[in-house]
Amino acid sequence: MTSDIQEQLRQTCRRLLEEEKVDVVIGYGQSTADGPAYPVFITAPQDVDRLVWNDRCFNNLTAYLTRDEVKSLGKPAIVVKGCDDRALVVLEQESQINRDEIVVIGVACEGVGEPRAAKCAACDVHMPRTADETLGEVPNGPADLEAAYAELDAFMAQSPEERMAYWRGEFERCVKCYACREVCPMCYCNRCIVDKNRPTVIDTSAHVKGNLAWHVTRAFHQAGRCVGCDECTRVCPAGINLRLLNLSLARAADKHFDYRAGMDKEAAPVIGAYREEDKEDFIL
Amino acid sequence: MSQTLSHEDLLKLVDGCLGQGKVVAGPTLVKPDLCAYAALRASDQLVLKDFIHPANSIKGFFFPRHEPICVYRLNGNDVELEDVDPPKTEQIIIGVRPCDAAALPILDHVFNWDYADKFYNERRENTTVVTLACTDYDDNCFCTSVGLGPAAEKGSDAMLLPLGDGGYEVRCFTDKGKALFEGKTTPSDKTGSASEGPARKIDVKWIEEALEDDYENPAWKTISLRCLGCGACAYNCPTCHCFDIVDEGDAAGGLRVKNWDSCQFGQFTVHASGHNPRANQGQRQRQRIQHKFRIYPEKFNEILCTGCGACTRNCPVALGVLNTLEALRAAAAPDTSEVG
Amino acid sequence: MDNVYKPELMEVLDVHQHTADVKSIRIKFKDPGKANDFSFRVGQFGMFSAFGAGESTFNICSSSNWKDFLEFCFRKTGKVTDVLWRLDPGDTIGFRGPYGNSYPMEEWEGKNLIFIGGGIAMPPIRCAIWYALENRDKYGGVTVVYGARTVGDFVFADELDQWAEKERTRVIRCVDPGGETPDWPYEIGLIPHVIEKARIPADNAVALVVGPPIMIKFTLPVLDKMGLAAKDVYTSLENRMKCGIGKCGRCNCGPVYVCKEGPIFTLEQLTQLPQDY
Repeated sequence: MTSDIQEQLRQTCRRLLEEEKVDVVIGYGQSTADGPAYPVFITAPQDVDRLVWNDRCFNNLTAYLTRDEVKSLGKPAIVVKGCDDRALVVLEQESQINRDEIVVIGVACEGVGEPRAAKCAACDVHMPRTADETLGEVPNGPADLEAAYAELDAFMAQSPEERMAYWRGEFERCVKCYACREVCPMCYCNRCIVDKNRPTVIDTSAHVKGNLAWHVTRAFHQAGRCVGCDECTRVCPAGINLRLLNLSLARAADKHFDYRAGMDKEAAPVIGAYREEDKEDFIL
Repeated sequence: MSQTLSHEDLLKLVDGCLGQGKVVAGPTLVKPDLCAYAALRASDQLVLKDFIHPANSIKGFFFPRHEPICVYRLNGNDVELEDVDPPKTEQIIIGVRPCDAAALPILDHVFNWDYADKFYNERRENTTVVTLACTDYDDNCFCTSVGLGPAAEKGSDAMLLPLGDGGYEVRCFTDKGKALFEGKTTPSDKTGSASEGPARKIDVKWIEEALEDDYENPAWKTISLRCLGCGACAYNCPTCHCFDIVDEGDAAGGLRVKNWDSCQFGQFTVHASGHNPRANQGQRQRQRIQHKFRIYPEKFNEILCTGCGACTRNCPVALGVLNTLEALRAAAAPDTSEVG
Repeated sequence: MDNVYKPELMEVLDVHQHTADVKSIRIKFKDPGKANDFSFRVGQFGMFSAFGAGESTFNICSSSNWKDFLEFCFRKTGKVTDVLWRLDPGDTIGFRGPYGNSYPMEEWEGKNLIFIGGGIAMPPIRCAIWYALENRDKYGGVTVVYGARTVGDFVFADELDQWAEKERTRVIRCVDPGGETPDWPYEIGLIPHVIEKARIPADNAVALVVGPPIMIKFTLPVLDKMGLAAKDVYTSLENRMKCGIGKCGRCNCGPVYVCKEGPIFTLEQLTQLPQDY
């Protein structure tokens, strides 16, 4: 029951703060019961009643672990759903966090969004896999990746011209707000490639060329790293179907290298490691 | 005695304008679940009900997100410059929420502050804005807190007030509005209606004074903790107007372009030396609110905000201007231990 | 309607290298009509275009009395200055301006002028110095204090010699301790100490101080001790700019737009500005 989880969460966090095991709890809050949930940063034990847990807790809070303003608050506890927890694994593989310095509170998640977010149909991480403790219980099914790939298959059945026309139409609406980049836990570069100007690799302009260059580059930089939390898709003010783009590269990593980002801390990152027996047939 | 127009006749008007080669824009479903202002190809794309506020604003029709301002050609050690003119095409935007139209007279000030920006001004001259009065509002709306309302006339050439039977009462305010609807409306004794609007949520006088009195307010750091520094708020805001100027081209030449920019981006104010006067998100959020509620009013006697709520609706972390102002107010209350 | 963003084309007349990474460039309008119509006041700045790379903001460091060219000075530090660095006489760049406010040279008439600069901050002062020396009778004593990290970091070093020759003009040069060469005949020490040691009379004086924030921070108390009022100490601020004409929303410090209401401020005005620069 989400309300039970919410109560347990508050008690757990009150204890962590009172015992000074952490300096800050990064969790979800909500101003009104029918309003949106959003990230909150609780530093005082008496404020834990601001923490909530419900199916509007969309944000992937792990994106905050690499931000200076949050790091300066001290040792964190962080509330994670299963998909968020996968991002923690990637951050650890890429040496962006010191896992021992973070208390990870998992919450059992049946899915978010009304209607349910597309990612939830294929979810096999209802119980976060690497949390220090997980509140609540939701059975973990096998990943129904075929449900997700079916959408991709239907799209890929179209001709290249049709697909290109689709993406042109999508990116015609992009205004380069970079909400997709800022919500993404994997986009932690101190200076993003699009912000570099010696040389300018990606036009900053929000014309179709500049937008295609940005999104395709970001998708490639996410290949094998994106955990499919779909936050980028949710937050895009222009409703661009980024999920499909990321999914196609995630499937490539799965199909060619048997790799799913954030599922195995010990696995060598697919882009970051080379083995002689790696497939080459798609580039030769 | 009022003037009225049925929805079908309005669509005929739209088709007529499209047939004349004019740009006609309005709220439309750019995706099945996403209503935004966009140029229309046909009148049946126009959506005038079942939404509170489109996702974006109409400022892109006057101040595009990307536009060339100059052409340069490189020829050995010589350079040839060619001026660029904004398009002369007449634009008609139908179904504009009053909060979006009100932004235009507000923006007129900065785009004409000693130097007149022809790219903005000529589009202003060539565009007719037809507003659609609001019969409803949501929690993000706060137009009534900034001197506006669901049937505000500011920036509007003509207004449509829903009659409840699918048609509209039409009120023309300017010559442009009158010219558009000349001979198209029918006299009637029905009048359209608009909502009262939300109750006032913030005291802008208090805000302006608070911003003046305590620039360094430490509350900014905690208020901005969840802000991720993207441009979703600024780019969908009807009054935000920060921009960047860059050259795009190759060895033969290219375009000097003006693009939207946002004070929320980390690199916005960084010097060539690497020094950044606004190095953290608290300082950047402060700049945004200062600009809207104190700096612009000081300079031009206008609040740089129309209470449309687009910032909050688009914000990945549900922040936005209204929540920020309320957080400022709460931080000033002595017995609060609010964080982030 | 005019295009306020479109620059004027300028021909590069002369390029002079001052230090390992500082050059100054003299330019003139390609269109003689524009040259005739153009005038500026010392202290104002311009937006200089390296077409293809972009625009940069520099103070116009030549005297407003010089009619044959404009001059600007820059350190090679980024995308645009990389391209400006490679300019030769005969090349073409762009110029928009003059923008901003200016030194109140008329208000300063009859006063003693104290110019204090550090490192690459000499160019915004140089134009005022030349202007004053070219109207010598209108001004009282002129004192120039110029400090650099090392002997090789002085900009317009040859002009310092010329200024030292002028009547009622005193030039004090200093390098940071450790920055001197064995034959350095001038002062060694940080600017604030050198100023104190120099015992410059402060009565009926105004001071113009330009330099990195740390230098300004330690120099202002010395000037205060000398007896200079905050309203009589001036500086030229720098901030990141793009449009230069008050529209792009980038350069403001609180309610003050550096490109429109600056870059010249008195210390009195500066202390009321938020430190957004």
